[in-house]
Amino acid sequence: MTKRLGGVYAAYLVFAVVFFGPVLFMLWSSLRNNVDITGSLFDIGSPLTLENFTNLFERFAFGRYIANSFIVAGGSTILGLVLGAPAAYVIVRRKLAALGFVTLLARMAPGVLFVLPLFVLSIRVGGPDSVALNYTLLIVAHLIITLPLCIWLLVPFFEEIPISIEESTLIDGANAWQRFRRIALPLALPGLSVALTLSFIFSWNYFLFALALANERTLPLTVIAFNFIGQGSNDFGGLMAASTLISAPALLLTVFAQRWLVRGITGGAVK
Amino acid sequence: MSDLMTKRPAASGSATADPEAEAPPRRRRRVDPTARGVWPFALPAVLVTAVLVLVPVAYTIWLSVSDRQSDGTNAGFLGFANYAEMFGNPEFWNSLKITLFLFVVCLLVETVLGLALGYVMSLDVPGRRIFQGMMLVPAITASVAVGLVWLLIMDPSLGAANQILTKVGIDPVVWLGDPDIAPWSIALVDIWQWTPFMALIISAGIRSLPEEPFEAAAIDGASGWRTAWNIGLPLLRPVLTVAMLLRTVDLVRFFDTIYIMTQGGPVNSTNTLNVYGYNAGFVDHEPSYAAALQIALLVLVIGIAGAFTWFRQRAAR
Repeated sequence: MTKRLGGVYAAYLVFAVVFFGPVLFMLWSSLRNNVDITGSLFDIGSPLTLENFTNLFERFAFGRYIANSFIVAGGSTILGLVLGAPAAYVIVRRKLAALGFVTLLARMAPGVLFVLPLFVLSIRVGGPDSVALNYTLLIVAHLIITLPLCIWLLVPFFEEIPISIEESTLIDGANAWQRFRRIALPLALPGLSVALTLSFIFSWNYFLFALALANERTLPLTVIAFNFIGQGSNDFGGLMAASTLISAPALLLTVFAQRWLVRGITGGAVK
Repeated sequence: MSDLMTKRPAASGSATADPEAEAPPRRRRRVDPTARGVWPFALPAVLVTAVLVLVPVAYTIWLSVSDRQSDGTNAGFLGFANYAEMFGNPEFWNSLKITLFLFVVCLLVETVLGLALGYVMSLDVPGRRIFQGMMLVPAITASVAVGLVWLLIMDPSLGAANQILTKVGIDPVVWLGDPDIAPWSIALVDIWQWTPFMALIISAGIRSLPEEPFEAAAIDGASGWRTAWNIGLPLLRPVLTVAMLLRTVDLVRFFDTIYIMTQGGPVNSTNTLNVYGYNAGFVDHEPSYAAALQIALLVLVIGIAGAFTWFRQRAAR
């Protein structure tokens, strides 16, 4: 038995180095001076610094890009929940499985497919000129990611609510909407928080829509970090600090919501 | 999909996204809380999905058969000239080849490695959850961060990868600058990012397998490998198929990491259909041609997903 345990831990170690190592490497590099990063990998005693991070905020106005990421991911998450929660509720109560499947198709279509039409629309309505319009456009585009995700995550939570609880309110003459709002929704609160967190992260991480649609003032963190490669390709410390900032929500989440994370990325395929 | 909460073993097929396969037994209901008023609940989401998905697809189809210029003018219906141009363009066939290459290599390696890692993750040992959490990180880290880290790791002179290779006495590799090697390097990054994801699904599948067949095999004195091959693998097939289908859909439209790391280069060696389509639209400013490429990609996604579903249904019978 101990021999077997040892074997498992040896495998753990190998896999952890391979799959988690690069993430640690990113975190570590974000805290090193450029001279050391471009020096030897094996020089592990080099001094650590927060300069890469402070530079991002002082020289490149990263505060604004973080705010942009928050606005787009937050907006599309709230909209996804507002539209998705009632939909998930009827999918469960009326067994509209086909409807749930249709929304999942939105997740399967290639993202670039949406970008051309959205880009044309953006130019038609003046998206590149107006900050407010551009935010709206990005938020709506990100609904393609958040809405199916919200529906898929909420369905199991509504399924857990026994129908008898809802039936008991029929005597009071509550209508469907009141039952949904006063009973089902509060009972599904844990599910709402899971959907909120996960769709925020997925929207936060998403790269393509903002790459094609954002204007200079609405650029989110992901795209500005990408633009960084061209500008200061030798500033590896800055790049790794930016990557760390982008990864922060996901890294924090892993600590708290493993189980739901698996369900979120698999679109409900696995329990 | 309504079977999400039924606690049945995954091996019976409940780990599928198939909405009809596993509907739970209908509860007896005296009243239906939403008997009247389904549409007020569902309509907003349905409308938004329809507008967000169908309209762009319809518009892209229109774009692909019309003559739109990058300055916004549209000379109207053009017929299939864009498609003719696409099929006559060697770059399209090159892109298709690269798309399929990445698809096959990544899917195969991710499945085989995922099986090994999934088995390790399924074992009940102390610390399993922490390990599982670590393995989740690559899949949910933003592709931009993944791309940037691997750019640094694969840097030809300063990168960590070559430093390690040099240390153990292997010649440094030009990871992203050599057209023969770049597609493999891109595949490596995708394998790194998504193998743990495969493993998570597979380990969940392994943990929900019934015990009896394995006990019977043990009594018959079958070896571990034989049992795994002859009993475990067939029982796991539904889970494996779903996991592979999920990866298939993502791999065919593979974009983020490639765009961040190589933008399709060097010499178009990593120019998948998706990257090619994006560049045609936003770098070369040929919206109509780009639209034709997108439709081709959509057909490919639907085709491969359809083939998979057909294969799965046939296997289930």
